[in-house]
Amino acid sequence: MRKYYYIFKANIMSNLQYIFNIMISFINYFILIFIYLNVWQYIYSDPSKLIYHYSVQQMVWYVIITEMLWFATSGRILCQNISNDVRSGNIAYNMNKPYSYIGYVLANHLGEILVSGLLYGTAGLIMGLILLGGIPTLSLAYIPFILIVIIFSVIINTMLITVVGLISFWIEDSSPFYWLYSKLLLVFGVFFPIEFFPKYLQGFLQYSPVYVTIYGPAKLFVDFSYVNLFKIISVQTLYLVIAYLGCQYMYERGVRKLNVNGG
Amino acid sequence: MLTVVKNQIKVSFYSFKYSLMREMINKTTFLSNIIFMILNDATLIIQWLVLFSLVDEVGGYGMREVLIMWGLTANIYGISRLFFKSAYNLSNTINTGKLDAYLVQPKNVLISYITSSVSVSAIGDIIFGYIMLFLFGFSFSNLLIFSLLSIVGATIDVSISIIYGSLAFWLSRSDRVASTANDMIIYFSNHPEGIFSNFIKVILYSIIPVGIMIYMPVRIITQGKTLLIIFSLISAVLFCWLAYKIFQRGLRRYSSSSLMISRI
Repeated sequence: MRKYYYIFKANIMSNLQYIFNIMISFINYFILIFIYLNVWQYIYSDPSKLIYHYSVQQMVWYVIITEMLWFATSGRILCQNISNDVRSGNIAYNMNKPYSYIGYVLANHLGEILVSGLLYGTAGLIMGLILLGGIPTLSLAYIPFILIVIIFSVIINTMLITVVGLISFWIEDSSPFYWLYSKLLLVFGVFFPIEFFPKYLQGFLQYSPVYVTIYGPAKLFVDFSYVNLFKIISVQTLYLVIAYLGCQYMYERGVRKLNVNGG
Repeated sequence: MLTVVKNQIKVSFYSFKYSLMREMINKTTFLSNIIFMILNDATLIIQWLVLFSLVDEVGGYGMREVLIMWGLTANIYGISRLFFKSAYNLSNTINTGKLDAYLVQPKNVLISYITSSVSVSAIGDIIFGYIMLFLFGFSFSNLLIFSLLSIVGATIDVSISIIYGSLAFWLSRSDRVASTANDMIIYFSNHPEGIFSNFIKVILYSIIPVGIMIYMPVRIITQGKTLLIIFSLISAVLFCWLAYKIFQRGLRRYSSSSLMISRI
């Protein structure tokens, strides 16, 4: 595990050099939150109104957390990097090193997003406090549990995107599959909590990646309950195993198809 | 003069043709890019279905207006990225000194550069745009106006991208500013203007002209305000002229990085 720790650490150090670039990308984050603030304030014409038990304040906080997770994970870059590794043959350099390619990709990406994740988290909290004044029903005692769920969600999302990226072994460019995966998370998790969807869809969504990567952490943040915490962590544990096995399976199958030209 | 224009169009057409043919070498990737982009665009309609299950209208837009807004956004995005993809990478090209390859060609630098690459997935956006028009209500006049306004919107979009991209002639780290401006256009294009305050609307009709590209065309198509087409056309010409002037002014400051690259 030490080698992965060093890869992780090296990427954190490298990213600390580019804090300015990360901070510029906050503009997009702020603008999206601003747009959703306008949308929800329009829909909640009466501020005391509740929609599916969510107040306007809870809805905007929900979007702040989900967008923060969305931006901080930078899934598009991870998927692109894996595709480029396969297409350019660069993956051959990783194969003969004394580490697993999957472990390398995960440590590398998690190291890369740690700094941006912390900065987005801080920016999101400050923006929420300025725009909304306070955090609904959140006690300090819940924060460690929410942080654990957030860490799990980022690891699972990174592994699932790795599975999508490894499709490159078969069709060169896996970006189209990533678009679809990311849009499903966006539509079913980032914009709305799953309670906003019809009952028959909710049953399915509660066992989907949306639940463990996006909805779970944000739901606990705006409406914490130990019952929800237990349920979310249970499904996340299941997903950790499934996503890890998925990565291994895709890599082992895909690498057999690899054909790298020397040069 | 006419011969020069004719030659430039011919060169740009061949540049587009060969870029597209290069992308078609791997047919699976080519087709999956198009099909998945259509699916990708379609998923966002779910967002509006959910919102309209809560309220009847959002910012003065019902489902019909949203269909046209979504169709125009996809079509404008598709046309601009299919034919002028390089315009969205201008600041990076300037910063890395890769503009050299276009300076030595006996053709217009800006046009040669912006037509030098294509985005295949943009074909999916264009197809999706017309599917939205079909769902809104297909007629020959709607098809004509929708296509015209999409071309006008794409012209403004590319011009804005050139204007922000050209900042790289003066500022060394302006690539983020350019990409943020392009992203902002996409974000605002997907939401009705009625939800924003008057101050934001002023920005949306000037420095981030989503109002001229999307909101005004939605009004033209849904409310039949055809006279606004003239305003759209004049705006497109003005943005084009401004983009060209700013690029030409900036080009005087450009200095080569002596980078050796080959264009295949």
